[in-house]
Amino acid sequence: MKKIKLAAASGYWGEPLDLPKELAEREDLDYIGVELLAEVSMAILQRWKNKNPKAGYVPDLIEILKLILPNTAKKGTKIITNGGGTNPMQAGKEIKKLIEDMNLGPMKIAVIEGEDVMDKIDKLLDDGVVLSNLDTGEKDIRKIKDDIVAAHAYIGSEKIVEALKQGADIVIGGRLSDNALYVGPMMYEFGFDFDDLKMMGSAITIGHIVECGECSVGGMSNFWENNKEPWNMGMPIAEVSENGDAIIGMTRDSGGHVSENTIREHLVYEVHNPNEYIMPDGIGDLTKAMLQQVGPNKVKVTNMNGKARPEMLKVQVGYYDSWVAQAEILIPWPNALTKVKLQEKIIRKRLEKFKLEPLEINFEWVGLNSAHGVVAPIPEDEDTINEILLRISAKFKDRKDAETARRQCLMGSLIFAPVGAAFGVPTPVRRIVGLWPTLVPRDTVELKLTMLEAN
Amino acid sequence: MGKKILRELAWARSGDKGDISDLGIMAKDDKIYDILKKEITPEKLKEFYKDNVKGEIEVFPMDNLKAIKVVMKQALSGGATKSLRWDMTGKAMATSILRMEIEVD
Repeated sequence: MKKIKLAAASGYWGEPLDLPKELAEREDLDYIGVELLAEVSMAILQRWKNKNPKAGYVPDLIEILKLILPNTAKKGTKIITNGGGTNPMQAGKEIKKLIEDMNLGPMKIAVIEGEDVMDKIDKLLDDGVVLSNLDTGEKDIRKIKDDIVAAHAYIGSEKIVEALKQGADIVIGGRLSDNALYVGPMMYEFGFDFDDLKMMGSAITIGHIVECGECSVGGMSNFWENNKEPWNMGMPIAEVSENGDAIIGMTRDSGGHVSENTIREHLVYEVHNPNEYIMPDGIGDLTKAMLQQVGPNKVKVTNMNGKARPEMLKVQVGYYDSWVAQAEILIPWPNALTKVKLQEKIIRKRLEKFKLEPLEINFEWVGLNSAHGVVAPIPEDEDTINEILLRISAKFKDRKDAETARRQCLMGSLIFAPVGAAFGVPTPVRRIVGLWPTLVPRDTVELKLTMLEAN
Repeated sequence: MGKKILRELAWARSGDKGDISDLGIMAKDDKIYDILKKEITPEKLKEFYKDNVKGEIEVFPMDNLKAIKVVMKQALSGGATKSLRWDMTGKAMATSILRMEIEVD
C-alpha cells in the first residue's frame, strides 16, 4: 500500500526556528507544510503591503526556508506554505532568489493568487449577498465598509494539486487554509477527489492533527509531565496510507511525546461542532475517528470520515475598529485588595473629569482573577495576598481620546496611588483591527497559478 | 449524590475562533464520560461562566474520544483582536472549567 510522510515545519507565525530546522535535518519526508497565518494576520500583512508593495508576506517564511531548504532539496521534500500572505508573488520571487543564491536549483516554485476579495464586496452586496458576521449575527457590513483593511477567502487544495501535477517543488499561497497545506498533497499523491468523502474526511482530520505544529506532540498539553525535554519540542509527522489511515509521530529525538491523549486533546481543539469540522475542501466528521498507540510516540488514527464540500467559502474581513489605552500597576502587600479597588476608583474618576467615555473598560487583577474571570474565588483575608497586578485597558473609537486617557487618566494615577504601587514601562496606545468573518459563494474567488523557475 | 470538581474527573483544552470560545473536555474514564454527558449542559455552563460568556452555548458529545465539546459564543470579550482581557484567546478557559462542580454517584 502506498504511503507518504507529511510534517508541519511551522504551526504559527513566530514558530521557534530550531523546530523546522531539526525536522528537516532528522527526517526523510515527502511534504513539509509551513503554516504561518492566524485570523488577524492578513489584515496586518495588507497594511504592510499598502506601505511597501514588496512587503506583505510573512518574513518568517524566508527564515524558515533558509534553514530547511538544504535538506529538503537533497531529500526531495516538497514544501507547501501559506506564508505568502497578501503578497505570495513577491514571496515567490524572494524564494527563487534564495534558491539561486544557495545554489540549490533547479526548482519549480508555484504561486497561488486570487483569494483577495476586497474589490468584490460592492458587487456581492449589489447581487444581494448579505455578508453577515458569522460571529455576532450582525447583518449590515456597510457600517464598517469604509474601515475595511483586508478581505480574503480561505481557500482549499485545488491549486495545490494542480501545482504538484505541474511538478512544483514549492507551493506558495496566501490565505490557503492551514488544513489545505496537508490535504492538497494527500489528494495529489493518492488521486482521490472532493466527492470521496471517506478520503476527504481522513485528509481533513489528519491535516487538523498536524497543522498546529507542536500542539499535538506535547505542546500546550494536559500531559505536560510526560514531555521528557519540553525545551526541545518537535513537530508532528503523519505517515498516511492510501486507505486514509495514518500513524502520527514526531521529530526524531525531540523532547515532547505522542500518545493517544496528546492526539485526543488536539482532536477536541478549535474544531467547533465535531460532527462538522468545516474546511474549504470538505467537512470532517471527527466523531468516529479511533486512536491506538502502536509504538513509542506513535499513534494510529483510523475510521475517519467526512461530508460533502461546502457551497460557500469563508472570508475573513479585517477592519479598523478602535483604539486602546492600557496600563499595568503592581500593587504590593499590605492591603493590596483595598488599594487595588481605590486605584480603580481613581481611574474611573479621572475618566469622568476628562469627560471620557470608553466603549469598554476592563480592570483585571492579575494574580487573582485575570485567567479565570468570574469563576476565580477572591481570598477573604487580604493579608494573604502578596501583590496584585492591576491591568487596565480602555477602548475608544478615536485615537485622540485613547491618547488623552493614557496621558491624563492612566499615567498620573500611578502617582496618585497609595505608597508602594510599582509601575513598569508605559504602554503606547494601540489600534484594534476587528474581524468580520462571513461567507461568499465559492465562484466569487477566481484563483490563478503561476510557475517560477529557480535555476 | 456527591460532588466532585471537574479537575478530578477530566482534562480540558481550549482555544478560539473570533469571539467563540471552543472547549474540549476529556473524561478520565468511560464511567466518568457517561456522567459528564449528562451533567455538562448549556444551562450549567451559562450559570458557571455568568457574564464572562454572553452568547449561545452548545455542547456536543464525542463518544469515540470520551470527550465533550463545548462551543460558547460571545465568550472572549470580542475575540482575540478586540478583547481587553489578558487571555484574549481563551486558552485559560481549559483550566477555569476544571473548577466546575459535577454531581457524581
